[in-house]
Amino acid sequence: MQTNSRRYSVLSYCLAALLMLYASYLLPRLLPGDFVTAMYSSSQVTLNAEQEQELKAFYTQEDGFGGYLLDFFRLSWGHSYAFLEPVSSLILKALPWTLLLMGGAHLFSMLAGFVAGVETAWRRGGTAEKAGVGLMTVLQGIPELGTGVLLLLVFALHLGWFPASGAETAYADQSPVRQVLDVLQHLILPFSTLFLAYFPGNFLLTRGSMVMILKSRFLETARAKGLPPLRVRYAHAARNALLPLVTRFGLRLAFMLTGALVVETLFAYPGLGTLLFNAIAMRDLPLVQGIVLFSSLLVLLVNLALEAVYIRLDPRMKHAS
Amino acid sequence: MEFFFVFWKFFRKIGVLGMTALLAWTCVPLSAGAGQVQELRIADRKGDWGSPNPYCHYPRGPGYIRMSWVFDTLVWKDKTGYVPALAESWSFDPETLAFTFKLNPKARWHDGQALTAEDVAFSIAYFQEHPYRWISLDALRGAEVKDPHTVVIRLAKAYSPFLSDIGGTMPILPRHIWESVQEPARYTEPEAFIGSGPYTFQDFNKAQGTYLYEAFTDYYQGRPRADRLIYVRTGQPMISLRSGQVDLAGIQPDMVTPLKNKGLKIIRDERVWNKKLMINHRKEPFQDRRFRQALAYAISRQQIIDRAHRGFGTPASYGLLSIDHAMYNPETPSYEQNPGKARELIEAMGYTRGEAGRYHKNGESLKVELLISNIAVGGQNVADRDGEVLKQQLEAAGIKVEMVNLEQATTDTRVRNWDFDLAVSGHGGIAGDPKILNEMISSHYGAGSVNSARYDACPELNRLMEAQMLEMDREKRRQIVQRIQAVYARELPAISLYYPDTYAAYNPDKGIEWYYTPGGISKGIPIPQNKMSLIQ
Repeated sequence: MQTNSRRYSVLSYCLAALLMLYASYLLPRLLPGDFVTAMYSSSQVTLNAEQEQELKAFYTQEDGFGGYLLDFFRLSWGHSYAFLEPVSSLILKALPWTLLLMGGAHLFSMLAGFVAGVETAWRRGGTAEKAGVGLMTVLQGIPELGTGVLLLLVFALHLGWFPASGAETAYADQSPVRQVLDVLQHLILPFSTLFLAYFPGNFLLTRGSMVMILKSRFLETARAKGLPPLRVRYAHAARNALLPLVTRFGLRLAFMLTGALVVETLFAYPGLGTLLFNAIAMRDLPLVQGIVLFSSLLVLLVNLALEAVYIRLDPRMKHAS
Repeated sequence: MEFFFVFWKFFRKIGVLGMTALLAWTCVPLSAGAGQVQELRIADRKGDWGSPNPYCHYPRGPGYIRMSWVFDTLVWKDKTGYVPALAESWSFDPETLAFTFKLNPKARWHDGQALTAEDVAFSIAYFQEHPYRWISLDALRGAEVKDPHTVVIRLAKAYSPFLSDIGGTMPILPRHIWESVQEPARYTEPEAFIGSGPYTFQDFNKAQGTYLYEAFTDYYQGRPRADRLIYVRTGQPMISLRSGQVDLAGIQPDMVTPLKNKGLKIIRDERVWNKKLMINHRKEPFQDRRFRQALAYAISRQQIIDRAHRGFGTPASYGLLSIDHAMYNPETPSYEQNPGKARELIEAMGYTRGEAGRYHKNGESLKVELLISNIAVGGQNVADRDGEVLKQQLEAAGIKVEMVNLEQATTDTRVRNWDFDLAVSGHGGIAGDPKILNEMISSHYGAGSVNSARYDACPELNRLMEAQMLEMDREKRRQIVQRIQAVYARELPAISLYYPDTYAAYNPDKGIEWYYTPGGISKGIPIPQNKMSLIQ
């Protein structure tokens, strides 16, 4: 029975992967416009009809989905028209920055939101809880762009504490220590923007789940057994509030590549969001395809990982199917 | 495998450095030495403009500028006009249609080899075989090496934009490197970036959009004034300027006063860029010149500037060429807003006014679609609010307008395929060589440009455009160019709206004077990053 279910699961993942491959092949091609028009439209170079045709022929892919699939399995994701570099290498150069910013913001906002949510739910009815819920509801309503601009105005423009753009001071001859501090200094504003955007949701979700769980009878048993309050709170109660939070984390993580677009653009942070944005604007088809494919496969991988995490967190999930 | 390797390297670096950071908190201040500037940082919103060689840079002004630090041309422009670059002197013989260039004997390639007339002749032959899109060599017969430092470039026919388009734009390639290169567009080896310009190319970080150049100490015009030149991508040029992160950046007009108060030096460009209303003159009713003129009469350009740009701009000449151009025609026909005249012209075409003042003909109401999109003005993307004002003005004249806001590349594609009625667009180059008129008017010159009106219906205009290309006498050419502007303004295949104010700000403490080059760098690039600012 379980083998059948596993087989079914593997099959559905393979099918989803194939569909995503097709989507990443097809969707960028449906974009109106082409590389030559996008590149030369506001250019100092004025092409005549012959030059335009010649360039369009040079920048056209006519290998069909079969060829695309074959290249994918050969790990050849094509060459960017604009950067004249393999797509995979460009993705790998931008990905660490996205992981640092987005992954870091997700992780920290989840951990902080979880702890804050558990603690306020535990102290239900107190002033801290009421104020916290009110503040977080307001914060959740502020878009990332608004928070980002505000942080820029205060901390970059007026106080001058943090740089406004980039991920590090380019080509600075610095000691390794100074280099790390520089990276952190550049990270703080975009990181805080994202943290302020993600934290309220995690907080409210955990608090909501905890409030329901705290009414459960098994917690009365745990208390009656004389367990320390911290253990009752986290090992018994909070563990049950973790599932929806993990789901949220997984889904958000899956969209982190493209979700960072606003913040990455605002702070000129060199991640995948910026890369995708520029690639679409330039109609750099191989690069758009590569990023879309990478992003969609990541969604699939995260889902797969979530299934495993669910079972570890809640053994009842084994029998859910 | 490669994936994990790169990741491992990145996180190991962060990890090791992080540990070190925790152990010691030290600061290593950067300081510039006196006299020679240690480092200059230039801000750019986009960051990435391709690798700086003729075949890899993007075909836009910032891409060319990045290449121009590395590759020199025969002549160049500073704020006074053409000045010697690789050529110490030059002359033109109208009898034989030949330009003679005497090269600077001190000129060297970045790898130390001498630059000779052979390299110039080779570059021309190479560009003829592997076209460099910035220049057209169709008018050349060829180049002849007279001696190691003298080259004669012969024209097959007269070509008036020679100095601007070829002499001042064509980068000279080192023969010893490029003669064995068969596919220049794919050639990205380190040797592909060996030029003879004031700076050597060190790095282009594609993810971060940053460039690093270092001064070429053996440069034939003397050691450049800054040791390192760095381009950085910034989303907020003004904040970066104020915080001292960058030394030069293009700025919005609103920022002039606050930055001036902070001690930064502000520079203003000539009117080199125009916002334009593209018209699909191949379809009814736009095919009729009277209707295009009616559109012009219905529009108040000053109102667009005031409402959409807080007054930062100047109404443009209807003749396309900038009012700051030496060949501008002050007699160009003008269409100041006059709704009465607009209605008169529309009614002369058989339209009648119906309810709510809207025009209709044969039971169909007069309705047009207006495409708008965010557009790059002076290298900065700004939201387009012009469409809103235009819509109000045209509707007040009785024309129903449906406004469609699309992403730039989509608008461009629709304009390119004649799948539009009206579109708000814009381009620069209008203060450079008057060849821009041909490119922005005729489909023979500008078929591949989305900013070109591609208007061939007026034989007089076609004849004049051909004539200006062949006229080597400057005064005679000026007369032809002025006539072109007058005829163009009469025909109105597109309507020039206004010139936005363009500013840049720089840090004067570095002792470098940046300026906008009159007529623009090379073919008319409106960017204040002229390499002559850094030549002693």
